[in-house]
Amino acid sequence: MLRIAGLTDLPGRLSQRCGPRLALLLTSLLLLPALSGCQPQRPEGVLIVATKSRLDSLDPAAASRMGIMQVLSALGDPLYAIAPDGRIEPRLATALPRLSADGRRARIPLRQGVLFHDGTRFDAEAMAFSLRRFMAIGTLGFQLSDRVRAVRVTGSHELELELKQPFSPLPRLLSAIFLTPVSPTAYRAYRDKPLADRFVGTGPYQLSFFSPQQQRLSPWPRYWGSRPRNGGLSLVTLSNSTALFGALRSGEVDLLLSSGLEIDHQRALHRDAQAGRLREAIGPALEIGFLSLLSDQPPLSSLLLRQAIAHSLDRRTLSERASLGIRVPLRQLVPPSMPGSAADLWPAYNPQRARQLFRQAGYCQGKRFSLPLTFRSDIPTDRLLALTWQAQLRRDLGDCISLEPTGMESTTAYDQLGKGALVMFFYDWSADYPDAENFLVPLLSCEQSRGNRCLKGNSALSGSFWSAPGLDAQLQQSSQLTGAPRLALLRAIQRRAAAANPYLPVWLTAPVAWARPQLSTPRFDGSGRVLLAELQRRGARKEARP
Amino acid sequence: MSRRSHLLRYLGARLALAPLMLGLIASLVFLLLRVAPGDPIDALLGPKAPAAARAALRQQLGLDQPLLNQYGHFLSQLLHGDLGLSQNSQEPVLGIIRASLPASLELGVVALLLAAVLGLAVGFSGIARPEGKLDLAGRLFGIGTYALPPFWAAMVVQLVFAVWLGWLPVGGRFPPTLLPPQGSGFYLFDSLRAGNGQQFWGAVRHLVLPAATLGVLLSGIFTNALRLNLRRALGSDYVEAARSRGLSETRVVLRHALPNALLPVLTITGITVASLIGGALLIEVTYSWPGIAYRLQEAIAQRDYPLVQGIVVVVAGLVVLVTVAVDLLVAVLDPRIRF
Repeated sequence: MLRIAGLTDLPGRLSQRCGPRLALLLTSLLLLPALSGCQPQRPEGVLIVATKSRLDSLDPAAASRMGIMQVLSALGDPLYAIAPDGRIEPRLATALPRLSADGRRARIPLRQGVLFHDGTRFDAEAMAFSLRRFMAIGTLGFQLSDRVRAVRVTGSHELELELKQPFSPLPRLLSAIFLTPVSPTAYRAYRDKPLADRFVGTGPYQLSFFSPQQQRLSPWPRYWGSRPRNGGLSLVTLSNSTALFGALRSGEVDLLLSSGLEIDHQRALHRDAQAGRLREAIGPALEIGFLSLLSDQPPLSSLLLRQAIAHSLDRRTLSERASLGIRVPLRQLVPPSMPGSAADLWPAYNPQRARQLFRQAGYCQGKRFSLPLTFRSDIPTDRLLALTWQAQLRRDLGDCISLEPTGMESTTAYDQLGKGALVMFFYDWSADYPDAENFLVPLLSCEQSRGNRCLKGNSALSGSFWSAPGLDAQLQQSSQLTGAPRLALLRAIQRRAAAANPYLPVWLTAPVAWARPQLSTPRFDGSGRVLLAELQRRGARKEARP
Repeated sequence: MSRRSHLLRYLGARLALAPLMLGLIASLVFLLLRVAPGDPIDALLGPKAPAAARAALRQQLGLDQPLLNQYGHFLSQLLHGDLGLSQNSQEPVLGIIRASLPASLELGVVALLLAAVLGLAVGFSGIARPEGKLDLAGRLFGIGTYALPPFWAAMVVQLVFAVWLGWLPVGGRFPPTLLPPQGSGFYLFDSLRAGNGQQFWGAVRHLVLPAATLGVLLSGIFTNALRLNLRRALGSDYVEAARSRGLSETRVVLRHALPNALLPVLTITGITVASLIGGALLIEVTYSWPGIAYRLQEAIAQRDYPLVQGIVVVVAGLVVLVTVAVDLLVAVLDPRIRF
């Protein structure tokens, strides 16, 4: 062994000289646990809420994702709200819209005595300003501008919407939180451009700090409604499921929202809740996971094959294996909690019937149908679903069909979908406002069609390219009818889609929130958002007053 | 020509070439983003927005313009020092970078210091008995830390110290119960300047796990570099000459061999700093650290063209600056270097 003369005792000599420094190093290592004692004091009553959604902007005009909707629901008020039991409740409106005889004008009486967070008065001018601004620059501006021709002020606290055609789900559309009013004074310079880092609305909380990773909300002392039951909220973004899960488990955060949380973490938290270590709340399921089948090109232009695939889909197994039973098997496009839904319209799992249909299509007799399935590679549950379904098909119908799953990053896949490049694609859809129309129109409407082929329109963008004669007229009619005739028509539309199978609903996803046991059990509203103002520490004797 | 003039000429040439290089990088990124599959409109609106709404947004973002026009507009903005607006938030790209870059730099500098101290200490500890137990342990440490997958190591550290032991926060850069200090964006510095102990300790607590993980993972590079260079230096003529002059072995090592062995380490440090500016992605994602790499990853996922372009240009500019600075430092320290 090579030894360097005179150096053998060097560490000893160095340790003598460096003894104090080594001691310092060891001390600093020991300081690590001591740092846990340096946790800053929590301000009285302030709750910490964690999500995966990073917020680049708080402007309702830039809102398109669930994360910002949740924050806006605390900072702003909608005209109407969907109660947990599904009823429509006026919020900034005082009553449901009064429609003209032809159904093209809707007058909305507005609440008086409401103040914006900058102290200015909320009135019809302010609401009109906000709606016009949203139609002009809103990312989801089309939701309103496709239906509303003009917004008029007909009184100091009365608004009139001139509709392009009668639109019966109007109150549900107006329940969308992205239509929350903003102060015309604060947004004067932002009439035609977004204001990202501020929000001046009318909600129970006002914004006291904003960064994309953290927002601080304090109770608005001059709020017109019930004051928040907590002393404020601190909303934080954690970028991955492990961090979110760990933050709640370790007590670092008080409330966790399920969006972005991986399935195994959700199950672990569910077990914690069952064991009484956490409080769990499940909201209305408004997100559907479904397969889109490219129905205008071979091989899936064959109805027989689409039906065979529909019968081969074992939703229960997929739910149990890929989502650990958390997602509910679904055989309808409109979630069950919504008026106009119809249960179990799509074909049930039936391998014998699937085999028959595959045989009729010329498969199973030494010839296997090779079916490509594209899934979103950046969503772990989608990968699990694809692999589970592949295994299930191999087990049940291995001689008839072979599933070939391929992962593709979401944004790339969405781009390819509308170009007709994906034979079958699994993804999800949650409505911008909770109404059956917002599940059917984005999937089935078609501007230009030939026979059963959609050449241009939502059905093409959604990857099925399927249409049917008269279907678009039915969809339009459904948004003009009210009451039982409307519900009957919505069900009839779904039956037509279920018979053709351009989409195969797979499962339903409900939002879940978990709170530390010291907190009251969270509640969701009918739009799937946690009612943050209701949260309070158990034993808190009175409402937080600033 | 004197050495000083050579050095200045070298510096001038590197700095003069830098804009050209940045322009080339920016053009490449511009092109690659457009060639890559995926549409910013899909990222913003999802796949099911009506065609008219998609067209309107495309027009609003200027994506309906011919590619050449978009490129010309981008270059013209770049020449004026304007990186444009983020497609996603409509915020100035420069502002977004200004908010994210200090986070990455703060993490990078602290991690680098930790890596240097730990790596050099381990590398140095083995020189007494080459191939001895301590040396072997140092080698294993060097290879092991270098070979560890960063996301795995980060997740394990996060689970142990944050979730199980609960000593430190699982992620983020600052306690959610406090408001971050205002100023330069370097929270340690800003809170110290403000004299706010609560903010300072809050920032330290959040920095410990990501910086320690990154520091340990990087330390192997320093360990191996120092170990190899020190062994080479100890076998060189000038060290033998020093020994023959009767100098003590400690003095030979610390005064003669070590400074020479550290010169290549300095170059490695420069490269590491350059890679850290935009490259600590896995650590930033695992610890929800709102740095520039994390921001870049999100911008790519959202196909936010101006933001990706802006971040790449700024990071490339910093990398150029750091490498030039390290080259100059090495040249100043080592009289043998000629340009």
